[in-house]
Amino acid sequence: MCSACGFPAAPGHWTDAGAQTPGDRLRLRFARLDAVNRLLAPYGLKAWDDGATPGLQLFAPGGQRELVPDLAALLDAAGRMAGQPIDPLSDRALADG
Amino acid sequence: MAEPRSDGRLPLTILGGFLGAGKSTWLRHQLHDGRFVRHHVLVNEAAETPVDNLLLAGVGRITVLAGGCACCTGLPALLAALRGICDEASGRDAGRVAGILLETSGLADPGRIAAAIAGDPVLTRRLAVAQVLVLVDSLHGASQLTTEPLARAQIEAADALVLTKPVQADPETLARLALTLRQINPAAALSAAEQGVPGPLPPQDGLRPLDLPPLAAREPILPHRLEVGNGGWVALSTWLSALIQARGDDIVRIKGVVRTPAGRLLLQSVRRVVQPPEILPDDNTALAGPPPEEGVIVLIGRFMDADRLARSWRRFGA
Repeated sequence: MCSACGFPAAPGHWTDAGAQTPGDRLRLRFARLDAVNRLLAPYGLKAWDDGATPGLQLFAPGGQRELVPDLAALLDAAGRMAGQPIDPLSDRALADG
Repeated sequence: MAEPRSDGRLPLTILGGFLGAGKSTWLRHQLHDGRFVRHHVLVNEAAETPVDNLLLAGVGRITVLAGGCACCTGLPALLAALRGICDEASGRDAGRVAGILLETSGLADPGRIAAAIAGDPVLTRRLAVAQVLVLVDSLHGASQLTTEPLARAQIEAADALVLTKPVQADPETLARLALTLRQINPAAALSAAEQGVPGPLPPQDGLRPLDLPPLAAREPILPHRLEVGNGGWVALSTWLSALIQARGDDIVRIKGVVRTPAGRLLLQSVRRVVQPPEILPDDNTALAGPPPEEGVIVLIGRFMDADRLARSWRRFGA
């Protein structure tokens, strides 16, 4: 953990378990961004990860943005911005179009 | 552990507890400590894809009953398996089986299993229920007691209650949970164990039990099987994270074995808590029981249907 900014607060998210080498971890980070954005699309939100800044950045169409440490925090923040949880089984997520 | 009975009946220990209470972890430590060594271990899982046996490498005799909770749909299979073990214990394996340990599925009511054994004309003569042990999750126990009639039924059926994961729990909540358990089942012995190692209970002086509301009938908890294939770890873990975040109260358990760049991972969650995935050896012979089915996960909970899960997975995962 960085003593100046306190990041990361937890020793990784469980979803990081699939990668062990640094190369795999970076690949996993970018691949995850794709998956996250597919989930966020029905709610009009977008996540961004440049591979260098720690954590992920989350953008709402109104210009609202938030820097979050990990996937759990991202989904939390996205749920707040959307006004409802990001639920992959909901009608909104599964609607055509 | 259990003394041989003078009447020749096999002692049966029933290990129960709600989904994710830590039954397999507790049992793994007991086996490591040399308890239940000459027991035939019978593992029941409500889902069709067994994973609990993977935690129990090292047990001498193990039978896995998957695809049906032993207190309802899987009951005939359980009774047949118990009869088979009894036959072996008095025939081929005479003198080598000291007893039977049944690890029930998290959805089972041990009371109903004990009742079914008592009602079976063969088993009632061959088996004696030595103890009903019920594990209670220190972190989730209080909310399970509030919302799940089953959690209360399990505690009511116990001879001994073990509070698991006490180290992570807040001492006051844990103490109140302990008092609540005493109130629900005053006869049961109460103890705590972290990863199967016995530990102290927190002081309960001056505290009162949790207030439990009367339970209304709720949607039943059902297991759903989802084929997720291999190779899509990133999509799968992201999709599951969102599911757990949005529906942690209704999805009580997720388990499965998934292939990732780091190896085969055993995935397990209890409500919103995902255990750090355990990497399994690639060699199936190092595991107890049948080899795991890769690329299949089981989601146990309410307000889900197989079709919606499959549609959502096709859309966001595949």
